[in-house]
Amino acid sequence: MTQDFQPRGGLFFAGSDDEDDDANPTTAQIGVLVQPASHQLAPPSGPACSPHEKRLFFADSDDEDIPRFQTPRPIAIDSEFVMDGNDSESDLEIPSFEEVPRASSISSMSSGPSLRSSSPAPDPSGEEPPVKKRRLSPSSKVQARTGQASFNHLAYLGSFLVGNAWSTVRGKGYIKPGDTIRIERDDDFKFGLPVSGKGKKKALPDNGKKKQLTLGAMLKSQPPKMTKKADTVVRLTNDRGFEFGRLPQHVSSWVSRLLDFGIVDFKGSTVVDCPATLHSGADLIVSLSVYVRAPAFKPPSTSVEGPSKTMFNQGQETQDEQTLKERKSALLSLFEAVNLRPCRGAHAQDNGNTENGSGGINKNPMQHPGGAKKKKIEIVSDGEEVEVEEGEELSDNELDVIYKKRNDQSMAEMDPPNTFTLKLRGYQKQALMWMHTKESGEISAREAVSMHPLWSEYAFPAEPQDGIIDLTEDEKSFYFNPYSGELSLDFPKAERKLKGADLFISVGMGKTIMLSALIHTNRGPEPILPDDTSRDLARTRQLKLDNAFQSRALGQRKQPTKGPSATLVVAPTSLLSQWHEELQRSSAPGTLKVTVWHGQNRLELDGIEDDSMDDASIIVIITSYGVLASEHSKLLKAGGQSSIFQVEWLRVILDEAHHCKSRTSKTARAVYALRARRRWAVTGTPIVNKLDDLHSLLQFLGYTPWSSYSFFRSFITVPFLARDPKAIEIVQVILESVLLRREKNMRDNSGKRIVELPAKEVTVDTLHFTPAEQRIYDSIYNAAKRNFDQLNAKGLVGKNYTHILAMIMRLRRAVLHPDLVTDTGDGTETEPSGHSKDGAIDVDTLMNDISEHGLSSGSKAAYAESVLANLDMSNDAECPICLDVMQTPSIIPPCMHQCCKECIMSYLATCTDKGEMPRCPTCSHGPVKEQDLIEVLRPSGQDSPHQESTGDEKEGTSTSEVFLRRNDFKSSTKLDALVQNLRRLRDQDPYFRAVVFSQFTSFLSLISVALDRERLSWYRFDGSMDLKKRNAAISEFKQNERKPKVLIVSLKAGGVGLNLTSANHVFMMDCWWNAATENQAIDRVHRIGQEKTVYVKHFIVDHTIEGRILQIQKRKTAIVKEAFRGSDKSGKADPESLENLKVIFGDN
Amino acid sequence: MALPKAGETERLVADPAPGITAAPHEDNLRYFDVTIQGPDGSPFQQGVFHLELFLPEEYPMSPPKVRFLTKIYHPNIDKLGRICLDILKDKWSPALQIRTVLLSIQALLSAPNPDDPLATDVAKHYKEDEKDAQRVSREWTEKYASN
Repeated sequence: MTQDFQPRGGLFFAGSDDEDDDANPTTAQIGVLVQPASHQLAPPSGPACSPHEKRLFFADSDDEDIPRFQTPRPIAIDSEFVMDGNDSESDLEIPSFEEVPRASSISSMSSGPSLRSSSPAPDPSGEEPPVKKRRLSPSSKVQARTGQASFNHLAYLGSFLVGNAWSTVRGKGYIKPGDTIRIERDDDFKFGLPVSGKGKKKALPDNGKKKQLTLGAMLKSQPPKMTKKADTVVRLTNDRGFEFGRLPQHVSSWVSRLLDFGIVDFKGSTVVDCPATLHSGADLIVSLSVYVRAPAFKPPSTSVEGPSKTMFNQGQETQDEQTLKERKSALLSLFEAVNLRPCRGAHAQDNGNTENGSGGINKNPMQHPGGAKKKKIEIVSDGEEVEVEEGEELSDNELDVIYKKRNDQSMAEMDPPNTFTLKLRGYQKQALMWMHTKESGEISAREAVSMHPLWSEYAFPAEPQDGIIDLTEDEKSFYFNPYSGELSLDFPKAERKLKGADLFISVGMGKTIMLSALIHTNRGPEPILPDDTSRDLARTRQLKLDNAFQSRALGQRKQPTKGPSATLVVAPTSLLSQWHEELQRSSAPGTLKVTVWHGQNRLELDGIEDDSMDDASIIVIITSYGVLASEHSKLLKAGGQSSIFQVEWLRVILDEAHHCKSRTSKTARAVYALRARRRWAVTGTPIVNKLDDLHSLLQFLGYTPWSSYSFFRSFITVPFLARDPKAIEIVQVILESVLLRREKNMRDNSGKRIVELPAKEVTVDTLHFTPAEQRIYDSIYNAAKRNFDQLNAKGLVGKNYTHILAMIMRLRRAVLHPDLVTDTGDGTETEPSGHSKDGAIDVDTLMNDISEHGLSSGSKAAYAESVLANLDMSNDAECPICLDVMQTPSIIPPCMHQCCKECIMSYLATCTDKGEMPRCPTCSHGPVKEQDLIEVLRPSGQDSPHQESTGDEKEGTSTSEVFLRRNDFKSSTKLDALVQNLRRLRDQDPYFRAVVFSQFTSFLSLISVALDRERLSWYRFDGSMDLKKRNAAISEFKQNERKPKVLIVSLKAGGVGLNLTSANHVFMMDCWWNAATENQAIDRVHRIGQEKTVYVKHFIVDHTIEGRILQIQKRKTAIVKEAFRGSDKSGKADPESLENLKVIFGDN
Repeated sequence: MALPKAGETERLVADPAPGITAAPHEDNLRYFDVTIQGPDGSPFQQGVFHLELFLPEEYPMSPPKVRFLTKIYHPNIDKLGRICLDILKDKWSPALQIRTVLLSIQALLSAPNPDDPLATDVAKHYKEDEKDAQRVSREWTEKYASN
């Protein structure tokens, strides 16, 4: 045993639980002179492994390796085993191996000429030997001998020198320069992969000179952390099958993978130079010729798993996934080594590699980004969802970068067919063109990228025959995907299989119209694809089975005679009717047959395609995510079936596709299960707050390979977390091919904004509580704060998160209306029974009241009567308190003195506070109760000729122009502010249309009462209403009538999708944690079709939680996510939410 | 500073009640310099009494604060110039105004009410010997309120 090869035991063992990148650069590397020579050794003779040698060889070993000698591998040294055996000797001195890693001695030897010219990248090693006409060993002979059968399936990839392979034997006669050698792995059976078609010769012991060769193995320890499976020892054997050396670890690490995966063969590799007498650790220079095997071009055996698998595996990489990555990185290393560079394709994305490579071949292949990713994921997948999510948050800036590529202005336009009746704007025509080409599979819409963006084209280098490269040979190409590691001989077409894409269109851009135009343009039917037919058969078979269990006869479904032609639109429930309307509106009569598939009485969809055969009309089915999800769960039940999943759609359109951004949700799963030729996802926010959001859309689109979650995660999400700029690049590449972005502020090719929207004026009305409201609010706030402080001090905030949220909710309600937090609570109960809904009373009743009260003095009675008689005249009466013209005159019964409502209410409250009797300020008559006050309402806008009835139920009560009502409704600061604004609005515009948003349906109820009292027509839209009612509300609101109308909408139900351009006033009654949600609500009104300036008013009560909410809104993270999205699995608040809580209860 | 009653000051200045002036301070519009002429037929006839009037935050829900600056011998007005008048106390109504308050004070000069006294010695004097008390009032008016 030679001492000069004592391994650094420390190196080896220290690294053993570390990442593999550790071992490499410091590994000893030995350079040797190169001296080609022809091989002379005799061919291997028969098996002759003597027991003695066995013993010698395994001197210190357990017995475990004995059986290996029966395997075809010539020499079976289990490296682990060897290590064990030599542990004790590891402290011997090594001369400077680790300090001075040699420069790479692998270099590209004989790449084809075409590669040379097309890839001017610097040679990694810098010591490249002359290339052409290099005299090679008689490899053909070896080929002929070793791999005749498989020869046709091998293709030459190039060769490279390994300058620091090392000998494991001592003595002469093993090899000499020029000998053909074989490159072997000894553990192929562990992988179950055939290594190659090479000779099945048994190990041949030589002349007894073989020694324990294990020290070197220790030195070149396989990457630590590798499991038993993952050893990387690659043996060099001579013709006789006797191992004489090994490849250095930095080469063997990937060569071993390639062999294990059966991707390559090293045929005709030769020894270039070696010392005449070998000793273990002696440097060998070998030339490896690489041939790729045919199976490599098949999809990797560990194919990307389908959605069903990833569902339960989110965020985790599977073993398969790891294997894929190893394959990929091994291939990349190989290409690097043989200096094979793409002549076309995704070279740009490859720069990370080239960069690494320029440092020399020394680089550990596992340090390649792929390796780094793997490392990362192990950290990440440690289960801390929160941290991952934090990191994945995208700032606006990053989003802009991601979308950057999607801003193309100059695209061809396309006119819709004449069955489409609306006029398209320029950018809509562009979009139509793009969508059309997407669907028809043409690729010229944007640019003629014909190759799949992630693939690179490589040319097979010409194989040197007897050292001469035949330059006349036709160049052949193969294709490599540096992201997935896939190899292909077929040209990878761009966007293959993908018909459809993602439309990222800001709200109010008319996406419904665009898609309608698309439906008209590409109307199908498409031809039946052969494999579809077989699926159809399977389906009908399934149907028959189903029928056997069901009385209902579903399917006399005949084999469809033509391909699918129907379009399925999936939209949020609130938008179903809007889709219906818009589709109808945009179509010439009779050309489109639109069915809303929703509610209990859903028809069977089976017949639709058959129906469509008769006439030329296009079938469109509209359904909701909810229906889809429930149909899907029906389908999943044993024996269940659902026609919507059986129909093959020509096209599926997901509107507001971010509804299924969570790929594990029922909705998303249902969506993935749809069968469609063409898929479209339309959304204003393809990435709501995480890159992962994008994945769900890609999965729906079936955009391989990104539709695989683990793939997406390892190549995009995780690198992104690691701040790898490649991640963004890849996303850009993906988006470029699937996404069309249209936003309001984008400009067309002539520099004009593609959409001109009228101005939007946003004001914030800061209101102040009345003292009474302030008291109520303060008491709730103080209690909540005390509670929170206590919990916070004890560190129990996380555990009581829901409780705290409930407190906050209560505070937010208290801001809106005291009734929302008092026990009697919903505001409607404050109405005394016996009165009409809007508190109306008539003058006659009042007169009777006066006489009942028996006002003694006739003068007073006369005054009272005169007040009532003159109600409609005295428009400009002055309030005795504020001396102003009374806005809302309130009559104080029974004296009939009048004051402003605000003034008298305030005075009565003051009196009560002081413990005095509430009385009339004018005559001191008392006591006066608030609810006895009578409000006098005069229709504003004296020019309005005739006050129309404001609603069915109020018919008959509004015959006179003046109308009286009891002050029996408890208002609030916010309500008053709203009512006053609406009154003012009515003065300015008697036919105004306003939309009022609130998150609280109970507050909506109070608003509706207040509006009733104002005799304003209101329409309500919230999540509790069924679809029919919602539709009715919207269409009534939109109806053109000569009266003011108010639509009160719950922020959640109506925040998206609705088109409310007939209104131009928006009132936001409360603020949401996330300003984006509010803006989206506002965009219901401020969108295409809006012709007037839009006025938006936010009502904020000063010094309340609302100010704090605005503070939170401003916090950066709150921009993109819900501030209180709550807790992770353990029910604890995430740090961000906690921080926000502190803002709420802070002392500032 | 906007005052709670719309246009009250303007009207007060533009259309003063007879024998009464009220002018807001330039730097504090809630603070008024007031003069009231002693009503004819009262011991305060010919006198011009200076008062200060301040409108508190709560006005008009709370009454204004009014005080005589000129010394006056009156059973309902004390040495510090404080005035005992029901509408400045519990009978206040927000329907009242500065003008009505000042007119009430003027009326008080005409009709002292020794049964509800503030300056008890003056009230006693008025009750026991009204004539002599009125004489003192006249003397004080001449002495303090006649410029």
